[in-house]
Amino acid sequence: MIQDGKVLFKQALRQIFALVGLALLLSVGVNLWRSDGIPLVGDWSADARFSDDAGESLVVSLEEVRGLFERGDVLFVDARPESQYDEGHIQGALNLPFQEADGYFMDAADRLSAAGAIVTYCDGETCDLSHDLALFLKDMGMENVRVLVNGWTVWQEAGLPTEGGN
Amino acid sequence: MIFRVLRLFLGAVFLYASYDKVLNPEAFAKAVYNYQILPDVAVNLAAIMLPWLELLLGVCLVVGVWLPGATLISTGLMTVFIGALAFNLMRGLDIHCGCFSTEATEGPADLWTVLRDAGFLAVSVWLTLEVFFFRRRPSDRSKAGTAAVR
Repeated sequence: MIQDGKVLFKQALRQIFALVGLALLLSVGVNLWRSDGIPLVGDWSADARFSDDAGESLVVSLEEVRGLFERGDVLFVDARPESQYDEGHIQGALNLPFQEADGYFMDAADRLSAAGAIVTYCDGETCDLSHDLALFLKDMGMENVRVLVNGWTVWQEAGLPTEGGN
Repeated sequence: MIFRVLRLFLGAVFLYASYDKVLNPEAFAKAVYNYQILPDVAVNLAAIMLPWLELLLGVCLVVGVWLPGATLISTGLMTVFIGALAFNLMRGLDIHCGCFSTEATEGPADLWTVLRDAGFLAVSVWLTLEVFFFRRRPSDRSKAGTAAVR
């Protein structure tokens, strides 16, 4: 009985190695062969994640955007849903929820076109809304569109002016 | 009978889970990245390999071969999945599960996602115990001369 248990356990270990090895070989092989394969080691830096179609980084630093803000040269666009915008946002920011960007865009078009620089933001290091919105605005013909990564959080942490909420 | 039904069920779950992820490696890599658990260098490899491991597990469970290895991996994977989900729920990270679909339409992961996975884990543990303690020993199998399908 004990012998049997040992045999079964050894058999299980062999199968685990075989399954994991087979999965590794198959997956890496297919990934190399397919046209939409991804690199084995990806570049997950902010500059790479928040880039435009040409691969250029859209990221703007807090320091730079702060300078623009103080000179009144920037229009912030909040990509989050209206409810979150209402709870608090960067002072003077326009709300353009990415999920309903098409609907909101027409109302905002004039202000967007008149802005020197447009900086989109949302909340969270991995939040994509700001990036998606920036690409959308570029598609709509806006120039000088950038992204402030994790914008709502870093702006507040820097003690910069906000409005809305309490 | 119950063993067979649950084995087919869990196998089908793994096959279904692998399908969309095998088709969309880039979107799945993003889902893995968003979990913020693996180091950046390991994200892509995990995203490439995991769906195929799920696919192979699904095939093993459905066909009924290599059950000792397959049930152990399945139990291990479900434990890791639940741990990753629960960890992110606790630290308040708003992530998409990436469990069955790489589309964000699935909605953010919540307590129900964890409970659902806990259900799958329970099935997996039960199958593992059956295979290791209550089923025929591997030595019996050669005598019987049949495949492991039961």
